[in-house]
Amino acid sequence: MYLLWIELSRVGTMFNFMTEKAIKEAGKVIEKPLVQMIQIKKTFSGIPANDCVDFTLKEGSVHGLLGENGAGKTTLMNILFGLYEPDSGKVLIKGEPVKIHSPLDAMNLKIGMVHQHFMLVKTLTVTENIMLGIKSTRTPFLDTRMIRNRIIELSGKYGLDIDPDAKIWQLSVGQQQRVEILTAIFKGADILILDEPTAVLTPGESEDLFSILRELRNSGIGIILISHKLEEILAIADEVTILRNGVKTGETLVTPSTTKQELTRMMVGRDVLFNFTGKDVNIGKECLSLDHLCAIDDRGVQVLQDVSFSIKDGEILGLAGVDGNGQKELCQILTGLRKTTGGTIHLYDQDLLTMTPKQCIDNKIFHIPEDRQKSGLIMDWDVQKNLILKNYDSKSISGRFCLSEQRIGEQADTMIQEYNIKTPGREEVVKKLSGGNQQKIILAREMEGDPELLIASHPTRGLDIGAMEYVRQRILDQKANGAAILLVSADLEEIFQLSDRIAVIYNGRIMGIVSPDAGISKIGMLMAGIMETENVGVDA
Amino acid sequence: MNIIIKRSKTMAKQIWPSVLAIFFALLLSGFLLFATGHNPLRAYARLFDGAFGNLNRFAETLVKTIPILIIALGTSVAFKCKLWNIGGNGQYTVGAIAAVAVAVYVPLPYFIRIPLSLVASIVAGMIIGGGVGLLRAKMNANEVITTLMFNYIIMYFLSWLVNGPMMDPEGFGFPQTQLIPDQMKLQSIIPGTRLHFGLFLALIIVVVAFIFWKTRTGFRISLVGESHEVAQASGVSVQKHIVLTMMISAALPAIAGWIDVFGIHGRLQENLPGELGTIAIVVALLGGLNPIGIVFASLFFSALVVGGSTMQRFEGVPYSLVGIIQGLVIVFVICRVVYEEFKEKRRVKQLVH
Repeated sequence: MYLLWIELSRVGTMFNFMTEKAIKEAGKVIEKPLVQMIQIKKTFSGIPANDCVDFTLKEGSVHGLLGENGAGKTTLMNILFGLYEPDSGKVLIKGEPVKIHSPLDAMNLKIGMVHQHFMLVKTLTVTENIMLGIKSTRTPFLDTRMIRNRIIELSGKYGLDIDPDAKIWQLSVGQQQRVEILTAIFKGADILILDEPTAVLTPGESEDLFSILRELRNSGIGIILISHKLEEILAIADEVTILRNGVKTGETLVTPSTTKQELTRMMVGRDVLFNFTGKDVNIGKECLSLDHLCAIDDRGVQVLQDVSFSIKDGEILGLAGVDGNGQKELCQILTGLRKTTGGTIHLYDQDLLTMTPKQCIDNKIFHIPEDRQKSGLIMDWDVQKNLILKNYDSKSISGRFCLSEQRIGEQADTMIQEYNIKTPGREEVVKKLSGGNQQKIILAREMEGDPELLIASHPTRGLDIGAMEYVRQRILDQKANGAAILLVSADLEEIFQLSDRIAVIYNGRIMGIVSPDAGISKIGMLMAGIMETENVGVDA
Repeated sequence: MNIIIKRSKTMAKQIWPSVLAIFFALLLSGFLLFATGHNPLRAYARLFDGAFGNLNRFAETLVKTIPILIIALGTSVAFKCKLWNIGGNGQYTVGAIAAVAVAVYVPLPYFIRIPLSLVASIVAGMIIGGGVGLLRAKMNANEVITTLMFNYIIMYFLSWLVNGPMMDPEGFGFPQTQLIPDQMKLQSIIPGTRLHFGLFLALIIVVVAFIFWKTRTGFRISLVGESHEVAQASGVSVQKHIVLTMMISAALPAIAGWIDVFGIHGRLQENLPGELGTIAIVVALLGGLNPIGIVFASLFFSALVVGGSTMQRFEGVPYSLVGIIQGLVIVFVICRVVYEEFKEKRRVKQLVH
């Protein structure tokens, strides 16, 4: 295992070296880049979100900013757009050093940003929305007609296909996004930042978006595309910068020979940090089995297709994959929160598909959710109340009618001690605790129920190294207790350290189930959606 | 001993902001009184005297407290679930209508008719609340708008009833119903005053509400109020609890309507609830959604209302000053919420930098 990692990091270094060369060569052709961000540093409550990051955007190019959730992509762009101020580092626009204190400053520097959530007034028309914030040339009157004509002109020029008189609420999400893009261009932006633009789009709309972006690029606008989807980057970007845990891990030109594996490796690979005990456990009988499971997401797009796998007692199945390939929906289905469109799931002999979330909990399916602040904890409640969310109606907490304050307190004290939760007391409000301690509260709550099936979604995302190690050891302890564990993670290191078998998910399909011995390059390939004929599905 | 000190400390922490809000509201109104040529201290003394000055006045204050208290408790149940039930007036009226309908038109012995009318009131409230809850849960219809609109529907429904089918045949055409039989009315606790046995019913409801927040259902409702997502993940059905919350929240004002009919009014008239519903919303917020806090807040507001009219009579201070004090209390309660949010933002900002 070790050897593999060493090899990997070597490949990584070589790769970086090659890129630097390529950039130097490219730099000769175009002199002044549109944007230069040098050694940007930004820390949130002690954890670096950006650590000495360099970033360069050239005129007339699409620059991909690639990385997992929490890698620091959005932070970096929010700094450029003036929403955050960096702790240290410099920003140069067209070669001039600038200080950007607010989005207004950014707009004056001709930087436009299209957020994931649109900033449009739904009841106004397209023209009226674009007029907002633009000074009229004939104050106090509005120059509606002039603006309307200009919209039609720009819309035709870049193939945006926008009706200036349509009300926003009448438009599809894709069209609304195009209005946002148009707003930015209208204000003269020549640097355009798009934050995960395809996250809200259907595949067809994404295609349309890309052809618009190509038009914009050809007219000299520099575009920054934040994404964690490899295909997108390969399809549209000219260059790509890769971030991982706040650090820049690579920058490269995108050429037809660039492969998804190279990008995946820079995105998720990392050096080994710890050694764990408790991996060798006897694996028991089959706990969970999925057969040809299909599901659609909230937009009605197919997110899971013919997903089949099984997990046995005392086994950890790692589900590797880049974010947004159907993992979230799969976890929702397994906890009773989402309906399926086909296939079966069995927990031992029971049909899991007919279970409500409550029945899932009663059958000892526990879940460490991906977004702990939103779906795992009540941030305004204290520690002890957050600890009883799953067992408040059990005999240990509540009597005939009422919850017993005394027993809630006792349980909290035991758990705080047992799980080493660092808090001033059991009555401390959860939002005042650090991320690691918040995660420990969830661990304590979900693991004390003695799970038959434990679903751990990105259990160490955003944690510092100490907490990370603690969480992983706890998961292994559960395995030793005989729980079946589904470990959903995009962190390959974590997957390799903990898993007995690894299933790789891509685009809602299981690409293959392999043993960890298959090696990192193989998993990386599967994660990028490349299926090889040989050796796939050895262990299935 | 330690626990008692700790408890009283946290209590003080909860009460403090409300006391401050009242203090600033009275202070600012005091300036207003001064500016209009009244002596604020004398006016306030008269107000206090009017509300608590002798047994009769105090009894009158308590009579007014009963409906405010119960409606506010109902409102607070919805608020805890982050549902804005502002239909206190409508739900109160529905309860009163059901009470009179049973009391006047059902020919059964009194000892059956009284509990039956109470049940009818509760059921009527629950139907209205359940309807609002269903609209919210299934169709995401904003409950602020639905409860508010129901207020008007029910107000005009009552108006139609007292002018039409339920009008007193011997009432010389006044828009009101027959009086309920005297034997059915709630007896007065202190002879010579209007203070009736409804007070005990109100106190029982306070105790039940206090215990309710410690039950599993109470816990689930506050969980749903905090986060739908976490509630769902914890196995709590959000839709079901929204409907349940609205049913409980509407049943309580209906009970208040029943009590007022049997304790004071004895019949239906147009615009029965007056401004009770609006006062109850302020009371629920001022009391911090806590049953005990709501008891004191409702006593304060009913004292304002009762003492306010005395103040008008003897000091020539217009009764609308009471409305101004009410409004200012709301403003300061909201100020506090905004201030806390501001503090929180600053804290986060400091963490960030």
